[in-house]
Amino acid sequence: MSFGIVTTPTAALWPTLRFSITALALASGAANAAPLVKECSKDGQFVVGFSQANNAEPYRQHVNDELVAAAKKVPQFTLQIADGAGNVNTQTSQMDNFITQKVDLILISPFEASPLTPVVGRAVKAGIPVIELDRKTVGNPGKDYTAFIGGDNFKIAEEAGKYVAGKLLPEGGEVAVLEGLPSSTPAVERLNGFKSGVKANDKIQLVAEQAADWLPDKAQTAFAAMLQAHPNIRAVYASNDMMAAGARLAAKGAGKEGQVKILGTDGLPGPAGGIRAVAEGEWAATFTYPTGAPEAIEMAKSILLDCAEKVPTVVTVPTTAITSDNAKQMMGH
Amino acid sequence: MNDAVTIRESAPGRQATQRRLDFFAIAVRFQSVIGLMLVAIGGIIFSPRRHGLILFLAPDNIANIVRAVSETGIIAVGMTFVIITAGIDLSVGALLSLSSVLTATMMVSAGWGLLATLLAVVATGAAFGAIQGIISTRFRLEPFIVTLAGLQVARGLALVISGNQYINISYGVGPGLAPPIFSVLGDRLFNNTVPVATLVFVVVAVIATFVLNFTRFGRYVFAVGGNERAARLSGVPVTLVKVAVYAITGLVSAIAGIVHAGQFNFGSANDGTGYELTAIAAVVIGGTSLFGGAGSMVGTVAGAIMLGALANVLQLNNINAALQLLATGAIIVLAAVLQSLVRRREGLAR
Repeated sequence: MSFGIVTTPTAALWPTLRFSITALALASGAANAAPLVKECSKDGQFVVGFSQANNAEPYRQHVNDELVAAAKKVPQFTLQIADGAGNVNTQTSQMDNFITQKVDLILISPFEASPLTPVVGRAVKAGIPVIELDRKTVGNPGKDYTAFIGGDNFKIAEEAGKYVAGKLLPEGGEVAVLEGLPSSTPAVERLNGFKSGVKANDKIQLVAEQAADWLPDKAQTAFAAMLQAHPNIRAVYASNDMMAAGARLAAKGAGKEGQVKILGTDGLPGPAGGIRAVAEGEWAATFTYPTGAPEAIEMAKSILLDCAEKVPTVVTVPTTAITSDNAKQMMGH
Repeated sequence: MNDAVTIRESAPGRQATQRRLDFFAIAVRFQSVIGLMLVAIGGIIFSPRRHGLILFLAPDNIANIVRAVSETGIIAVGMTFVIITAGIDLSVGALLSLSSVLTATMMVSAGWGLLATLLAVVATGAAFGAIQGIISTRFRLEPFIVTLAGLQVARGLALVISGNQYINISYGVGPGLAPPIFSVLGDRLFNNTVPVATLVFVVVAVIATFVLNFTRFGRYVFAVGGNERAARLSGVPVTLVKVAVYAITGLVSAIAGIVHAGQFNFGSANDGTGYELTAIAAVVIGGTSLFGGAGSMVGTVAGAIMLGALANVLQLNNINAALQLLATGAIIVLAAVLQSLVRRREGLAR
């Protein structure tokens, strides 16, 4: 059996995050009169399959936990999670299994776009709605797949940049960036987003940018060198929380803890996550990368239970800035 | 110093080229030390300066370099033993990760004391390595395959134990808190200058240098790698030596995992990816032959520091990561070519 039902009670560990949901809906032109799924009904029983790219990443585990929590609230839904284990072949065969099984709706976070495009096409052809979460396959939402729900990496980092430009360093100063894995799309989008955001204040100088591959150890090494070369760095933007943790250790090593403002991205809950680090004053801020899980289950409800004839094809879930103002409150959730 | 002893019979024709060879062979034997000096000179030339101070040589920066290489350096020291026996250990990075998870779990979630945790983690690492050595020798399997499997197993165990989460280490007194003394691994001693992680690296390297060069076990390691059959015939407990070297890499990986947990205050099933390759690169640059029988611990240490110094120079100048990979790749090839030339001159090319 290549898929399993997630039964780990870890959901309790994660305080559920509440996002202010302002769905940016770009409804497609094709307005069918018929519901998206024929067998829809308020009191049916439905199997929702989730094809996850790779369980072995803490962020993905967080998505799973939020999905499990959201699905639990809908008694008509049974959620099946298959772990693609970071392998497009595995994920494709799991998707094929979902089709063979005739699950009622598929959620997928494709590990890579083009290799998983054909199997998504097969599912749509078999009449199964496919909602893509966080990552897209090739093609157009509303046609090649039902909808895309996710955050916008560029906008999230742009928010972080604007925060630095406006609130954190209104009087300007030197700023550094720690980039994720250079070949990955989110790394590029977050780097460019941040650069775009800080442009709001021309007294801010971007003096150094280095890739640290999302990893805390590489971030520590890189930021230590940055602080050597540019001792006046006043803030560092880390493209994920783990690199922010590494940057803090470098600042501490240079005897500059507290002087250098640290910003993370992802805003994961839990004792090793960014929310705690902000709440305890270690970092200035972190910007959530919303999982889209509650939104995905909402959309599944409207398709399967409410017999929706169309759904928004692109839902961009906005980021929440976690700062000293709201971090403690979010910890308490 | 009898570092890099080669236990091999003289090949015919060696006498003729003896003098010319010696100079070249000695240069290659210490190629990583020379390489380190070259990188250091390059670092000084290309270093950004401030108020006349060469940043590359700033004490803070030197501390950053030796801290950054401490984990892979500790592993490379163990890897040197394995590679001298003509083996390889690919499981080290995954084992570092597993050890960091075990450290965090035992100390924080399970509430074991500091000493009990450290002993248990180190023992687990050594046992994991020894098991790989036993499987490899008992079933005559290539260590490449056995430790490739070991990599998967260690990574899998780390994921299961951690539940795919980062296991945070918070310090204090009471249940769920780690003893504050453990956080010293992330600190710097002597007026905030010497990183503790580096001190661990130094201690491990000094012990390993002694064991390799001044003990019977060290001589056995060279003998097994130089000519296994000859070693067996002359009474060297070959199987035991082989199992022992994998136990050593397991042990040092566990130490590196503890250092990792102490530096970053968490255990993570995702860290340590690719550390095996960095460690092998340091060993090869250090002049240890993948064919076995020859190698140098001093070379390994210099190789590890050289890789860190190179990355540092490029980072100080804000040069992107792609160039760092290209430079590292070129240096590995150069180191391997130099060794191959020495083997050929000695008439020992295989």
